[in-house]
Amino acid sequence: MSNSLRLYLACIRNTLDAALCLQNFPCQEVERHNKPEVELKTSSELLLNPVLICRNEAEKCLIETSINSLRISLKVKQADELENILTKKFLRFLSMRAEAFQVLRRKPVQGYDISFLVTNYHCEEMQKHKLIDFIVQFMEDIDKEISELKMSVNTRGRLVATEFLKQFM
Amino acid sequence: MRGRKFPGVRMACLERASPALKGILLKRYRDSNFMEIDHHLYEFGSVEYHIQSSASDTHYIYLSVSTPLLSQGVMRPYGISQYTKQMVKGIRPDIVEIVEPAKEGYQLTLRLDFSGIPIGKDSVKVIADIAAVQAVILSSQLKEMLMNVNPQDTSQGMYKPLKLEYHPREPFFIIRQPQKIIAVFPIRFKDKTDVTIATAFFQELMDVGSSEKWRKAPPCCWSPIPPPELRGETFEDLSTNGGFVSFEISSRHVEGKRLDKTVWSLLNFYAYVKYHVKSTRSFIQRRMRKRLEGLVEVLGKRRNTEEKEKDEEEEKEGNHKVPGCMNMRKLIKISKPKVLQRRYDDLSTKIKRIRWRIKIHGFGRFRRRWLKMPKFSSSMGYIRLE
Repeated sequence: MSNSLRLYLACIRNTLDAALCLQNFPCQEVERHNKPEVELKTSSELLLNPVLICRNEAEKCLIETSINSLRISLKVKQADELENILTKKFLRFLSMRAEAFQVLRRKPVQGYDISFLVTNYHCEEMQKHKLIDFIVQFMEDIDKEISELKMSVNTRGRLVATEFLKQFM
Repeated sequence: MRGRKFPGVRMACLERASPALKGILLKRYRDSNFMEIDHHLYEFGSVEYHIQSSASDTHYIYLSVSTPLLSQGVMRPYGISQYTKQMVKGIRPDIVEIVEPAKEGYQLTLRLDFSGIPIGKDSVKVIADIAAVQAVILSSQLKEMLMNVNPQDTSQGMYKPLKLEYHPREPFFIIRQPQKIIAVFPIRFKDKTDVTIATAFFQELMDVGSSEKWRKAPPCCWSPIPPPELRGETFEDLSTNGGFVSFEISSRHVEGKRLDKTVWSLLNFYAYVKYHVKSTRSFIQRRMRKRLEGLVEVLGKRRNTEEKEKDEEEEKEGNHKVPGCMNMRKLIKISKPKVLQRRYDDLSTKIKRIRWRIKIHGFGRFRRRWLKMPKFSSSMGYIRLE
C-alpha cells in the first residue's frame, strides 16, 4: 500500500471513529417514525458538519453525520476510460446487490461512485470498530480489484492479439 | 446454427467448417442404413444449406449453398464467378462436382460422391473440407478481387479503396498500393463498454505487432480518425465510434499457402474482435461475482466474530445459544446429582412461596359460595365526604 493511500485511509478511519457515535432518535416531524436524519435533513440541529477527505481531485470521501445516522460517499479514482468503465460496472454491480452488505446504499450520492448509510441500529447490531474496519477494507479492496481487473483485461487483450498475429506467420 | 428468424444475430464462424453441416455429412457417411435425407440449415441468418439424398442413389449427396456474396455494396447479378467455382471444385476434385444450373434459390449446387471418400481417419478431414465450402466461396471472392484490382484505377494520385461488405453495416476497405495492400476496418459498437474493451485490444494489437518478435506479421495501426487512404468515402462509412484498424499486407503474407490464411483472418477480423469483447465482458462479470462473494464474506466474518463474542459473554452469564439458530437455547448436559439438587431447590422455593399454608383443593370455591360475608350497601349510595 502506498504511503499516501495509508494516510488517506487512516484519516477516514479516525474521522469515522469520531463520527460514529449514533443514538436512537425518533423523527421530530412525524410521530412514531424513526428515520435516518442524514437522509431527510428535516431538522438542522440534528445534523453535524459534513467532512470531506480528499486524496486528490479524483479520489475523495464525504462523511455526513447526523444524530442517528451517518452517510459515507466515496469517489474512486478513474485514470483512463477502461478504469472508468470497470469502476462504474463494478460499483453498479455491488449497488444492485446492496442487501448483501446491509450498510450499502442502492444509489450513490450525486458526484460520488458509491455510498454507505450507517444507522444507529447497524451500530447496535455490529460493533463500531468492526464496521469501520469493514468500510476501510472495502475501500482498499475496491482499489485493488479495479487495478487487477484492468490488468487482466489488458493481459487478455495481449494474448488475443498474439493469437491473431500468429495466423499471419 | 441460427435461423432466419434471427436476422440481427450475425457473426461469422471462426472455424472454417460449418459444424452443423459437418455433423450431418459425417452422420450420413457413418450411417450404414442409407436413408433418404432432406435438411435445410441456416447459419448466421444469411447462409443457407440444403442437403439432399435419395434412397435410390445412395452414393451421391446434393449440397446446395446460398451465401451473401462479398461484394462492393451490391449483390452481383450473375452469382458465383468461374474462379470461385474452380476453387470449390478444388476442395476435392474426385468427390465434389458442381451441378449446372444450381438449384433454384441457391448460388451453388454440389454433388458429393461419398463412395470416393477414403476409409479411416482421412474421412473426417475430407468431410471437414467439404463442410468449409462457404469459407472457400468467401475467400476465393476476396482473392479474385485482389487479383482483379486495376492498379491504374487511381483518383488524384491515390488508389481507389475497394469497399467490401461481408455483413451489412460492417464494410471494410481494401486499398491496393504498389508494394502492399492495406485493409482498413471501421469499428462500430452499440455499447460504450464494448468500444473501450475493443480499443484496449487494438492498442495491445499495435504494441504486440510493433515488437521485434512479430516483425514478420503485418503492421497494424489503430486510429480514432479515418486514414488518409479513405479520403472521399461517404460520411456514413467514415463515422465510427471505435476508430479504424488497418493492416498492411505485403507480398510475404500472400505467398503460397499464407494467402489463404491471410484472407481468412481478414474476413474474420470483425468476428474475432466481437468474440474477444463478448468473452472479456463475461470474464469481467464472472470476476465481479467472485469478488462480491469475497466482500460479503468479509462482512459475514465480522458479524460472525461479533456473534461469537456475544455468545461467549452469554456463556459466561449462563445462557447458551445453538450456533446458527439465534433464538434457540442450547440443551445443557447436567449430571444427575445436579438435577436432583435443582429439583430440591425448586421444591423448597415453592414451599417458601406458600409459606406453609395448607391448601385444600376446592375449598376456595366453597368459601366463596357459603362463607361469604353479606354486603351492606346504603340506598343513598356513595356519600362524598367534605
